[in-house]
Amino acid sequence: MTRSREMWLAGAFAVLLLATAAVGPLVVDARPAFEIPVEAGTEDENLDNVTAAAWTEVPAASVSLSTSGSSVPAADDITVEQTSVQAVQTDQRLYLRLSWPDPSVDRSTRAIRSFADAVAVQFPENTSARPPIAMGGSGNLVNVWYWSADNTTQELLAGGPGSTSRFAESTLVTDATHADGRWRVVLSRSLEASTGNRTAIPSDADMDVALAVWNGSNMERSGQKSVSEWHYLALGPGPQGPPYQTILWIVAGLAIVGSALVTIEGVRRTRGD
Amino acid sequence: MSSHSESDGGDDIDLAEGIDHQVAMVMDLNKCIGCQSCTIACKTNWTDGGGREYMYWNNVETKPGAGYPRDWEEMGGGWTDDGSERTPGDIPSEEDYGAPWDFNYEQIMYEGSDEPLRPMDDAADWGPNWDEDEGAGEYPNSYYFYLPRICNHCTHPSCVEACPRSALYKRSEDGIVLVDQDRCRGYRYCVEGCPYKKVYYNAMKKVSEKCIFCYPRIEGEGPEGEVRGPACAEDCPPQLRMVGYLDDEEGPIHKLVNEYEVAVRLHPEFRTEPNVYYIPPFAPPQHSESGESLDSERIPRTYLEELFGPKVNEALNTINRERDRVRRGEESELMDLLTNNREDKYRLEVFD
Repeated sequence: MTRSREMWLAGAFAVLLLATAAVGPLVVDARPAFEIPVEAGTEDENLDNVTAAAWTEVPAASVSLSTSGSSVPAADDITVEQTSVQAVQTDQRLYLRLSWPDPSVDRSTRAIRSFADAVAVQFPENTSARPPIAMGGSGNLVNVWYWSADNTTQELLAGGPGSTSRFAESTLVTDATHADGRWRVVLSRSLEASTGNRTAIPSDADMDVALAVWNGSNMERSGQKSVSEWHYLALGPGPQGPPYQTILWIVAGLAIVGSALVTIEGVRRTRGD
Repeated sequence: MSSHSESDGGDDIDLAEGIDHQVAMVMDLNKCIGCQSCTIACKTNWTDGGGREYMYWNNVETKPGAGYPRDWEEMGGGWTDDGSERTPGDIPSEEDYGAPWDFNYEQIMYEGSDEPLRPMDDAADWGPNWDEDEGAGEYPNSYYFYLPRICNHCTHPSCVEACPRSALYKRSEDGIVLVDQDRCRGYRYCVEGCPYKKVYYNAMKKVSEKCIFCYPRIEGEGPEGEVRGPACAEDCPPQLRMVGYLDDEEGPIHKLVNEYEVAVRLHPEFRTEPNVYYIPPFAPPQHSESGESLDSERIPRTYLEELFGPKVNEALNTINRERDRVRRGEESELMDLLTNNREDKYRLEVFD
């Protein structure tokens, strides 16, 4: 092999390395798997309105949903497999905007066989410990924000399956719309825990969150629901953003180039060049 | 919910685990005239509004017939044959219960129509008791009887088991099955889980509701502060119901159910172990074309077995035997209990 060819190869490797570091973060979302990004916002952005313009600027995380493993009949028969979540924290409130596909609008529970579409967001009551995913546990409670298309908005407390109970007064604010085959729902609450057993939402630390969606026309209710695993709202200062990603991708690129060079050198020596 | 037995030398009485006593009712189907007084007594007490319009916690249906709600016997619920697992069930529709019909009030009251007041279009194609008195069989051997039904306050209630929130429970003092209105979130698993379809969804309140065995009355909170039987029983013109406790071994219910075994359960194959029992119906024998009585039962035993299980045969045989004794002028405690000795028909103040 001539020296000029070696130079050409080395140049190609250098370009590959740069390309990996530069393009990699763009083509692959390098957000940690269970992170839901949180944007900083202000109270004048009308975020309680599900169609507010401010929401178009907020990045969305896509969250996979699956069955809950509940023992209720037909718990495995679910219809929604994914929901997208946007989160904004102001100095006073946390706003979550969920959006999921549902071609049938089920607003009523006025017929004996009708069930309403619904969504719920679950947080640990004490954000320092992660409770069991299915409605928490007896020593590790959860708060649930619940919205149903029959105009129900509830703040709930639970300590295990079947223990869900309502807070006497809901401080949750919701707004919802159905368009283009999708529900879009905003749920918000003040950061402060106004009474005992309410989650105090931190501004300086991540907070666990899990999601659930019910499709009324499939008679989904109770444990027959599409649920997520525990995710977390990136409320803390943790490692995130481009610098962190770039370092990771440079390390990956170096590893690829290095192993390629070692392989080529090995082949060369075997041939006795 | 498992059960335990009480035996003080007599027959074993199965009570649900954790239950001190078990209320029970025996209804003598031979006395029912289908007047619906029980239905109305219940309705005016408990279900005359507030989302309960369609509910009949007590109903009387003609058998053979589709019943209320329509074809409830085909809607599933209850338990598998060995009683270990629940059987899936359906939630009846408004139409199955008998949705209210729209009438032509507008035309008659405001538009001057000469039409008679009547349901509009084809609204009137089903309702509660729609098939009243139809029955089955061919003239001159047609047959039917009335079947009054309330919640059976079962010993092994599948509605209780169906609720993921334990909103339904059996009261420990007397085994009455109730829905905790604060715990209920309107999931309706109890509605689909009850094979008798005796739990109802109140769409206005968004909770399930059901027969409460008139517990305020049996607790002495009823009229004049006296202990009284459920309104359906007390308002019955032929007084066909007996009310008491299954484990009151001196009472008529224990005698009819456990000693003479002439009071049987409706659809025992659902395995919920009802605590409402029925004295099965007798009918005149079949007639020939010329009007002569034949030696053949009018209501087919096979049909009664479908409703009440195989024990109905021995129950009918026992009653026949005892009737023959009376015809021969002999004493029969059983026939006395069913006819003239009704002092203890409501025997509710036997336990503290």
